[in-house]
Amino acid sequence: MEKEFGLKVVDAFDLDAEVRSLLRPHEMAEDKHGRQHRLPRYFYEVPSHEAAKDIRLTWQFGLNEFLLVDLKEAQRLRNYPRYVPCAVRLLAFYLQRLREAVGTPLHIAVNGGYRSPAHKLSLGATPHMWGTAVDLYRVGSVVLRDQNSIETYNRVAEELSDDWWVMPYGHEIGKADDHMHLDLGYVTVVPREIKEDRLEVPQQVPRFAFEERRRGDRRGWPTDTKLPEGERIDADAPHSES
Amino acid sequence: MRPEPAPSIARAENSLYSSVLAIRERHGLERLGIAFWDSETTLQWAYNADEYFHAASTMKLAVLLGVYRQVSRGELTLDAPVHVRNKFRSVVNDQLYMLDFDRDADPDLYRNLGRTMTVQQLAYAMITTSSNFATNLLVDVLGVSTIQTALSELGIDGVKVVRGVEDQAAFDAGINNEVTASGLLKLLRVLAEGKAYGEEASAEMVKILHDQRFKGGIPAGLPQAARVAHKTGNIATVHHDAGIVYLENRKPYALVILTQFHSEAPRGTAVADVSRDIYECLASMNP
Repeated sequence: MEKEFGLKVVDAFDLDAEVRSLLRPHEMAEDKHGRQHRLPRYFYEVPSHEAAKDIRLTWQFGLNEFLLVDLKEAQRLRNYPRYVPCAVRLLAFYLQRLREAVGTPLHIAVNGGYRSPAHKLSLGATPHMWGTAVDLYRVGSVVLRDQNSIETYNRVAEELSDDWWVMPYGHEIGKADDHMHLDLGYVTVVPREIKEDRLEVPQQVPRFAFEERRRGDRRGWPTDTKLPEGERIDADAPHSES
Repeated sequence: MRPEPAPSIARAENSLYSSVLAIRERHGLERLGIAFWDSETTLQWAYNADEYFHAASTMKLAVLLGVYRQVSRGELTLDAPVHVRNKFRSVVNDQLYMLDFDRDADPDLYRNLGRTMTVQQLAYAMITTSSNFATNLLVDVLGVSTIQTALSELGIDGVKVVRGVEDQAAFDAGINNEVTASGLLKLLRVLAEGKAYGEEASAEMVKILHDQRFKGGIPAGLPQAARVAHKTGNIATVHHDAGIVYLENRKPYALVILTQFHSEAPRGTAVADVSRDIYECLASMNP
């Protein structure tokens, strides 16, 4: 797969069974309104803590800032190599604009960046599971724990872009009173070498060459599954629907 | 049949009983509970030891047990990171509440807001500086049912943990953590005898307890050379201390002193006075 920022992009279907079961690539997840959203499938593979610290998504945001989690995240996903949806770079881009607007560092809370579907705070679909949401607990030296500070910075974000969804201040569920939550919605990013037909939900039997190669390693497909001759497609050949 | 206690022990027990009553009177205590067990003489003695008191911070001993239970089962590691966040759920109606920074015995912990601390760091702060913040974070990690399970597994009755600390809604509803002197004594004995999830885990917990910063209770009634692994508990109306006392040339003894007084009464030195009397009682039996 292509490398971006020196990171390998992976199709989560290619990962080992344990990681796959935790990331649940391309599965549906239901939000609190009962709406279904398809989970991301393409991830950056972060090989080490040093790499996470070194890699800048923007000039003022390191990749590690989006990976801060505590023991609420599954242990396996806290170990390197770690995985973060490719959409995290969009989030970083928008956050950089906010950073420039406020003129002071934005501090992302622990568990406030990417959270896997296995994270204990992932009770329903939330953009955190797409890598497109962020919780900020501090802006510069201002700790966000009162209405005035949270609403002040919420307004800055809202005025900056209509793409942000900003969680209002409040104590109830769906509101925030000790941080600022911003998200871009359920956005997925597909690396440019991936063809659109790969976006389809994986079928019960492999239909394409790249699926055939992985058939023994994915979703319990039998390793001796043979494709009909007419559906066998070389990896380098153009894909087509059968 | 157990042998009759030596006359000196009987005399010592009577003398201790009299002095405890005098201390209670002198300090105007509403209630007093005491239990101790001396591994040197095998003497065990109790006064109102099965009466329940508000646990105050002595409940943190149970939380510590809960941490090491999970570690021993491989369900938690001491270096696991915990998000330091000042937001907790009351056991009453799941109401959210925050702790008051100024009231915590360890305000330094609040500098880590938004970051992580390890389970080990939190456990250390919970015991040595009696941090309520660290305690609630660990209770969140463990869940009260795990803590209670740890107590049950180790045969410790007389210690009830039903919530975190400073849960005002629960307090108003009369839902409180409670302890008896005999319950805490069982807990201390399990630690002292290396029976809490193995000798190594027990020793680690005792080591943390040795670093206790508040020494106005049991240690204040002892010679300077004494080392005490202990946990205090203070709120407006109670002052407790529960610890294992290590003295030179003798085996340790475990001691629990629970006191309750009127909210307007000064805290006084009742716990230290009882501690001193018990030390003198035991010393008189070991010339």
